[in-house]
Amino acid sequence: MKTLILIIVSAVFVNNFVLSRFLGICPFLGVSKRIKTAAGMSAAVIFVMTMASAATWLFYEYILVPFNLVYLQTVTFILVIAALVQVVETVLLKKSPTLYRALGIYLPLITTNCAVLGVAVLNIQKEYNLVETTVFGFGAAVGFGFAMMIFSGIRERMELCDTPVPLRGTAIGLVTAGLLSLAFMGFTGLVKQ
Amino acid sequence: MAGGKFFGGIHPKYHKELASAQSIEQMPLPERLIVHFAQNLGAAPKPVVKKGDAVRKGQVIAEPQGFVSVPLHAPTSGSVQAIDLFPHPVGADMPAAVIVPDGKDEWAPGLNAPRNADGFDAEKIKGIIRDAGLVGMGGAAFPTHVKLSPPKEKPIDLLIVNGAECEPYLASDHRLMIERPAEILEGASLFARALGVQQVIVAIEKNKPEAIEAIRSAIVERRGYSLRALDVVYPQGAERQLIFALTGRRVPAGGLPMDVGVLVQNVGTAFAAYEAVHFGRPLIERVVCVTGRGIARPKNIVAKIGTTFNDAIAFCGGQRGESGKVISGGPMMGVAQYSLEAPITKGTSGIVLLTREEVAQFVSDPCIRCGRCVRVCPMLLNPSALSIFVERLRFDDAEAYHVIDCIECGCCAYVCPSRRPMVHHFRRAKAEIRSKAAKAS
Amino acid sequence: MLTAVIALSALALFSSFLLAVVARAFAVPVNPKIEEVEGALPGANCGGCGLPGCSELARRIAEGKADVDACPVGGESVALKLAAIMGKAFEGGAVRKIALVLCNGNDQVAEKRFHYNGVRDCTSAAMLFGGDKACLYGCLGLGTCVGICPFQAMRMLPNGLPAVDPAKCTACGKCVAACPKKIIKLVPIDKRVHILCSSHDKGAKVRKICEVGCIACTKCVKEAPEGAITMHDNLAVVSYDFDIPDAVAACCPMNTIHVRALDGAIERLEEAASVSGGAL
Repeated sequence: MKTLILIIVSAVFVNNFVLSRFLGICPFLGVSKRIKTAAGMSAAVIFVMTMASAATWLFYEYILVPFNLVYLQTVTFILVIAALVQVVETVLLKKSPTLYRALGIYLPLITTNCAVLGVAVLNIQKEYNLVETTVFGFGAAVGFGFAMMIFSGIRERMELCDTPVPLRGTAIGLVTAGLLSLAFMGFTGLVKQ
Repeated sequence: MAGGKFFGGIHPKYHKELASAQSIEQMPLPERLIVHFAQNLGAAPKPVVKKGDAVRKGQVIAEPQGFVSVPLHAPTSGSVQAIDLFPHPVGADMPAAVIVPDGKDEWAPGLNAPRNADGFDAEKIKGIIRDAGLVGMGGAAFPTHVKLSPPKEKPIDLLIVNGAECEPYLASDHRLMIERPAEILEGASLFARALGVQQVIVAIEKNKPEAIEAIRSAIVERRGYSLRALDVVYPQGAERQLIFALTGRRVPAGGLPMDVGVLVQNVGTAFAAYEAVHFGRPLIERVVCVTGRGIARPKNIVAKIGTTFNDAIAFCGGQRGESGKVISGGPMMGVAQYSLEAPITKGTSGIVLLTREEVAQFVSDPCIRCGRCVRVCPMLLNPSALSIFVERLRFDDAEAYHVIDCIECGCCAYVCPSRRPMVHHFRRAKAEIRSKAAKAS
Repeated sequence: MLTAVIALSALALFSSFLLAVVARAFAVPVNPKIEEVEGALPGANCGGCGLPGCSELARRIAEGKADVDACPVGGESVALKLAAIMGKAFEGGAVRKIALVLCNGNDQVAEKRFHYNGVRDCTSAAMLFGGDKACLYGCLGLGTCVGICPFQAMRMLPNGLPAVDPAKCTACGKCVAACPKKIIKLVPIDKRVHILCSSHDKGAKVRKICEVGCIACTKCVKEAPEGAITMHDNLAVVSYDFDIPDAVAACCPMNTIHVRALDGAIERLEEAASVSGGAL
C-alpha cells in the first residue's frame, strides 16, 4: 500500500510528467487555453493512460517476453496504444455520445502523445508488476491533468492582461510553463528515488 | 441595534465649508423656466398643455402615465412659450415646456391653503403625495407614492430618514435640517402613517453637528423616533450602506430595502411631503446647493423647477476663474454639463462648479491590479476585473461578475492609480446587458 | 530478424482486423456532407452568417436548412463550390459589398459641443448626451468599428473618421451592428456616387454645425435619374439599385456627395485625408 501511495505522489508531484519529465508538451500547450477544455483533456488522458499502461504491460509480459521480441518494444507499444485508443473511441461514440462529446474529440490527440508511450516504457524500466503499473499510469495522468488545470487557469487570466505583441499566445505560455516547472522543482527529494 | 461600518467606502475631501454656512435663500423668478416632462424614474407624464396656453402656479401640465408615474406642475404662473427638445442634466436632449413667468406668481385655485392633516388616513396621504408630483429628492427621483406602497408580502417595520448627504460639496440637506427640522419630522411622520410604521430613525453624518442638534431638539416629543449620528464615509447615504450601518440588515443583491423591512426617504422628500399634505403645495421648487470654487458666491437657493443653470449661477454671482466643469449633482455621482441652459429638475440636489485647475486632464492606463478598487467597493464587487472585461467587450463575463449590482458610487474610479473611468465602463456594460435581455424576451 | 517481421506483420494484421470489426459493430451513421461543406467554408468563425461558427453553418447547409450563399465572407466562389457539393443550382453574379461610413464630418469641418475625456469607445461616448459631436447623427471617431472588425479591415484616419480597406473587408456586418449611431452601411463595391451624411436635422441647423452635411436642398434629387435619390426626413438617400452618373456629385452645394471608387487602395484614402485635411 505504502509503495502505491509513494508511486502516486512521485508521479503527480515529484516527477510530474509535464513539468519535470517534459513529456506531453504538445497537448499541454495546445488544449490549455480554456479551463473547460483542459478538464476534458485531463479526463481523457487519465482514461487512456491507465488503460494503456495495463494493456502494454500485459502485451509485454505475455507476448514480447515469451517470444523474445523485447527489442520490438517501442514499435509494438505504439501500435497497441493506437489500436486501443481507436477501439475506445469507436465504442465510446456508439455507446455514450455525451461522453464522446466531452472527451472523445481529444482521444486522437492522445494516441501519438509521447507521454502515453513514455509511461508504458517507464513501467517496464521500473520493473513494476501489473498493479503498480496501472497505479503508475493513473498517477502519471493525474499529474498531467493537475499541471494542465493550473496552466489553463493561468492562461485564462493572462488573456485579460496586456501582453506585449511579440509574446502573445504560445510564447508567453512557454515562459509560464517554464516558471511552473521551476516551481515544481521544489518537490525534489520528497520521495526517495 | 446592530450595525457598524459597511465594507469599503472612501474619505474624499468634502469642501462642505464653502456652502454649509449659507442659509437658504429664495431665488427670484427667472425670465424663463424649462420644465422637462421626464423628471422621475418610471413613465414620464404626458403633456396636457400646448404652446400658447396660460398656466397658473401649481397647475398640472402633464398627467401621469400608469402607476409608476407622477404629474408635473407649472412652477409659476405665466404662459407656455414652446414645447421642444432641451438638454436634460442627466445626459440627453429631452422634451420640455418653456414657461415664461408673468411675474404674478399666482397659484391655481384650491392650492396653497393650510389644512389639518390629523384625520388623513394612509391612502389619502399617498394620494396627496402622488398628486403633488413627489419624487425622491436625493437624486434618484423615484415616485414617492410608489415607494410608500410596498406589496403586502413585504411588511415594513422601520423608516429611515436620510440626512447623511455624503456627496462632497453639497450642503442643501444640511441647511434644510438646520432651518426646518420640525417640518422634516412632520413629513417623516406622514410617511410613517402612510406605511403603518412605528419606528423612525433620522440618520445624519457626524460632520453636520448643527443639523444633529437641530433635529435632536425637534425630535424630543416624538415617540418611536430616534436620531443616529453616523461616521463620515462616502457613500454613507447610499440606501444599502445606510441600512447596514444603522441596522446590520443586508439588502439582498438585486433586491430592495423593503426585502428587509426598511424604507428610506430623503429629508428633502420629507419636507416636500409636509408642504404637500399640510399646505396643498405640489413639488415646484427645491433647495439647490450652488457651490464650488468656480462660483463667486456659493449659496443654498430655493429655485423653481426649470430654472436654468445659467440663471442660478448668475444669481450666485456668476462664475469665478476659468471654468473647468459644471456638474449637476455632486462630483462623485453627478453628470458634467455641456450646456448651461440645462435646467434644475426635481432630482437636482446641487450644482458644483470646478475651476480649470481643479479638473485633471488625464489619459487612463491599463489596470495594474493593485486592488485598491476592490478594497473600497461598498458593494463588494471586483471593479478591476469588471473594467478589464468591459474593455475587451466580454459582457457575459461582466454579468457573471455582478456588474448589475454596481451602484455607480465612483469609489473605484476615485482611488484608481491608473485613472480608469470605471463607472463609465460599468454603465456601458449595464446598458449592453439590459438591451440583450430586452432582445431575448 | 524473421521473427520480428512475422511478429510485427501479425500484430498489424490483427489490429486492423480488430479495428475493422469494431468499426463495423459500433458504426454510427454520420452525414459525410457536413465535413465536405465545412471544408469548403472559409473557417474564420466570424459569425457573419449569424451563426456561432463555421461548423454550425456547415451542418445547416448539409441538412438543407441554409442556403449555399449564406456565407458572406466566402462570397460567390464558396457559394459555387457548396452548390456543387450539395448538387444544387446556384446563379452567380451577386455583387460584392463593402462597408461604408455615411459621414464625412471630420475634426476640421464638424463642430464639437464639449471636450470629451472618457472611455475611447463610441458606444460609451454616445451615452453622454449622444457624444461630443454637435451633430447627433455623426461619426464619433473613437473606433468601436475598427476594434470589432475580425479582419482588421478598418482603420482610423488622423482626421477622426474610419476608412475601410477593400482588400480585407468581407461585408460580414459586424461594424454595422457595432456602430452606436447606425451610420455604417453595406453598399455594392462597384457604385461610385455616395452621399456621405446621415443627419436628419433641418438644413439651418446642419449649416451651423457641419460644413459638409446634407441640408435637404433636393438639388441632387432633381439632377439624378428619377428615383435614384430620395428624401427621407431632411436627408438625401441614394438607392444603389440605380446607376448614378458621376456628374451628379458636383451639384451638391455642401460637398456632401462624393465620387469614390470603393475598391481603391486604402493608402490613397489615407493620403487624401492627410493632404486635404478637410473633406475627402
